[in-house]
Amino acid sequence: MSGAVTGQWQEAMQLDELWEGEMAGVEVGGEKVLLMNVGGDVRAYRNRCPHQAWALDEGDFDGETLTCARHLWVFDARNGTGVNPDNCRLTSFPCKVDEDGTIRVDVG
Amino acid sequence: MTPRRCVLVGGGVAAASAAAHLRKRGFDGDMVLVGEEAAAPYERPPLSKEFLTGPPDLVRPLAPDWYAANGVELRLGVRAVDLDVAGRSVGLSTEERLGYDDLVLATGARPRRLPGFDGEGVHYLRTAADAGRLRAELATARRIAVLGAGFIGCEVAASAIALGTRVTLFEPEPAPLARVLGPAIGAVLMDIHRERDVEIRAGEYVTAVERGGHGFVLTTSRGDRVESDLVVVGVGSVPNVELGQDAGLAVANGGIAVDEYGRTSAPHVYAAGDVAAQHHPGYGTRIRVEHHDTAVRQGANVAANLTGEVTPFEEAHWFWSDQYEHSLQSTGRMGDFGSVVLRGSMAERSFSAFSLVDGRIQGVISLNRPGDVLAVRRMLFTPHEVTAAQLADESLPLKRLMPRTKAAPRAGAR
Repeated sequence: MSGAVTGQWQEAMQLDELWEGEMAGVEVGGEKVLLMNVGGDVRAYRNRCPHQAWALDEGDFDGETLTCARHLWVFDARNGTGVNPDNCRLTSFPCKVDEDGTIRVDVG
Repeated sequence: MTPRRCVLVGGGVAAASAAAHLRKRGFDGDMVLVGEEAAAPYERPPLSKEFLTGPPDLVRPLAPDWYAANGVELRLGVRAVDLDVAGRSVGLSTEERLGYDDLVLATGARPRRLPGFDGEGVHYLRTAADAGRLRAELATARRIAVLGAGFIGCEVAASAIALGTRVTLFEPEPAPLARVLGPAIGAVLMDIHRERDVEIRAGEYVTAVERGGHGFVLTTSRGDRVESDLVVVGVGSVPNVELGQDAGLAVANGGIAVDEYGRTSAPHVYAAGDVAAQHHPGYGTRIRVEHHDTAVRQGANVAANLTGEVTPFEEAHWFWSDQYEHSLQSTGRMGDFGSVVLRGSMAERSFSAFSLVDGRIQGVISLNRPGDVLAVRRMLFTPHEVTAAQLADESLPLKRLMPRTKAAPRAGAR
């Protein structure tokens, strides 16, 4: 259901509001989305920990890994794969940045 | 040549974590996981919470097919009955003997039992089977009595209330979780439960229990009589040291003594999780932690040490407890509850209470501020210097108090 590009690029945020090493929880098309600026590249994930569905934007992002504040599950921010535990992954959404700095997300 | 064999005794998350990390680190020998319960390893924390109020699904650290796919033999419903550390073998309840090259004791703990409180309708909560029985009876219970306002008691009370059940919660101490939280935060938690119509009888305990027609009549230390359909006892736990102790392993703090590398007093025998009383380099003393997160991390650490990466276990221990909509978390050690520094508001139920000694944070307890705990956990064993005023100032992000090890990646990406 997610990950596939449907071509429905919805506006999520302006890039200049999301600094490198920062993350933000936004709502796009009724979907809770976590936007992360990972070393200048923007990533979009479902804002729900795969463990027990807590919001991830309450957690900690050190620029490389994201730690869920509820139970300390850790994810690689660049690709959403689980670091600890390593048998899980975040649900990702296609994401792009327009020339005018608008971050757009395709939530399907 | 016979492959090296590692036997994991215990069916909880410490053993599962050790197994997963052993394979991840390239351990290619035999692995056997011996677990007394019928279920493959699962997470216990949800058993007093979501498992009771929602679908009775087990949260598993490893998918059920992971074990076969990774060459880990599961011996479930089997108990390890004796350990021979000289001959390097372990006897099972099936009357087999398993030889080992290395053994990990992760036997966990069991509920402390109250004499006279057992039989039908009296519940202790540790395993999925325990939780399944409690869940089934909660479905028809109108009122329950919970003995002990520790983690299990408070969480079961909150879950029962969510199911529309009346709850009487007995706690001999003046407040719930008083030993862990101190009197002031304990009082906040007491208010939270009382607002949800839990009848908390603090400073009171049950002296006698009689079975009535379809339930119980409890006599309290104040001479009151309280009716309930079922009784849940949550009065602490007892580590399962017997297997190791009978084999001559050194014990300490009620558990199996291990050094910072997870090694017991016998060669090739390690221990992890609730049963392990481990020397912690950060404290310079032995501590035994009965929390999920530590069990997982100690299991991973033992796997590292077993595969040649000699690494002391130096992590901060941390726990959470979800009750109603509230998230309670803590890390580190609190010391004197009388001198904590408060950030946020107890009245608004959004606060962190810090233990600060000579400018260094020793521990924190947070209600509904999990981010604070995360920040403290990162800096607990890193030298730092903060003031009480800084901690109390909510406009100052805690992350900013942490000593910088690298330049902040804050350069704009615009």
